Amino acid sequence: MKLTLQTTRQDHLIAWLTALAIAIHIAESALPSPIPGVKPGLANVITIICLIQFGWRTAAWVAILRVLVGSLLIGTFLSPAFALSLAGACASIAILYVAKRISDAQPVWALGPIGLSIVAAMAHMFAQFWLAYTLFIPHAGLFQLLPVLMTMAVVFGLVSGIIAQHVLNRIPEKLNP
Amino acid sequence: MNVQLSRGDMIVIAGALLLLPMLYLHYWGNASHGEQIVIRAAHQDAQYYSLYDDQQIHIAGPLGDSIIEIKDAQVRFIHSPCEGKQCIHTGWLNQDGQIAACLPNGVTVQVIGRDARFDAVNF
Repeated sequence: MKLTLQTTRQDHLIAWLTALAIAIHIAESALPSPIPGVKPGLANVITIICLIQFGWRTAAWVAILRVLVGSLLIGTFLSPAFALSLAGACASIAILYVAKRISDAQPVWALGPIGLSIVAAMAHMFAQFWLAYTLFIPHAGLFQLLPVLMTMAVVFGLVSGIIAQHVLNRIPEKLNP
Repeated sequence: MNVQLSRGDMIVIAGALLLLPMLYLHYWGNASHGEQIVIRAAHQDAQYYSLYDDQQIHIAGPLGDSIIEIKDAQVRFIHSPCEGKQCIHTGWLNQDGQIAACLPNGVTVQVIGRDARFDAVNF
């Protein structure tokens, strides 16, 4: 029996972008990290570009699929690292939804890639921290790490945002499907 | 490098730069001050004391009495029958999680916060 799935242009778009995000995600997981839980999160560049070019739904699909498939490939599926990663992705996607709605409703206050990237990185870090605190390490000492972690989130959010901006500058206007 | 910042971006960056020092102040200031202490001695139940009741506590160990002092929301060993006096040299403790131990006499004192159920979950 041959099974055929009807795929849309949108499906292919999501698949390609997710593949790109996964490649970055895995390349990055090979980098050593000075503090546990701190990594640049460059795959979020893809999420931000998706959000701006193709809208929130595509960005959400890419972010969640990236966490799912990335964890299967690295071998952390359903582990604490996966839970933290998923919580972070959900939180950043949620805050990006709010940011996008505000940007659409009030263009004066619209966020560019850098603003979006920073709020996403901070939401990501807050969600991870909250989950780590409630589920894995319910120790007040963990809060000593929060300022450092948030600083890293802001710095990496800024860097990702700048990268996203540069990529967006090179994408021709008429690419939208 | 041409990086365009919208007004929204500026607000986000300003907010983040405002938030970070507040976090440092709040969590690296005096925020995680302990609430009580727990003294554990060999072959005895753990004993809990408030960090806010100034007192001296005598704990009997295999070598003799260790004396622990609670004063001004801090705690320290002031006397120990051991040789190295590591416990005394540890000095004052007041932050949640800090610990001083006299291994020869089998006595430890640890500052704990309000909600210490377990240290960590490991996988």
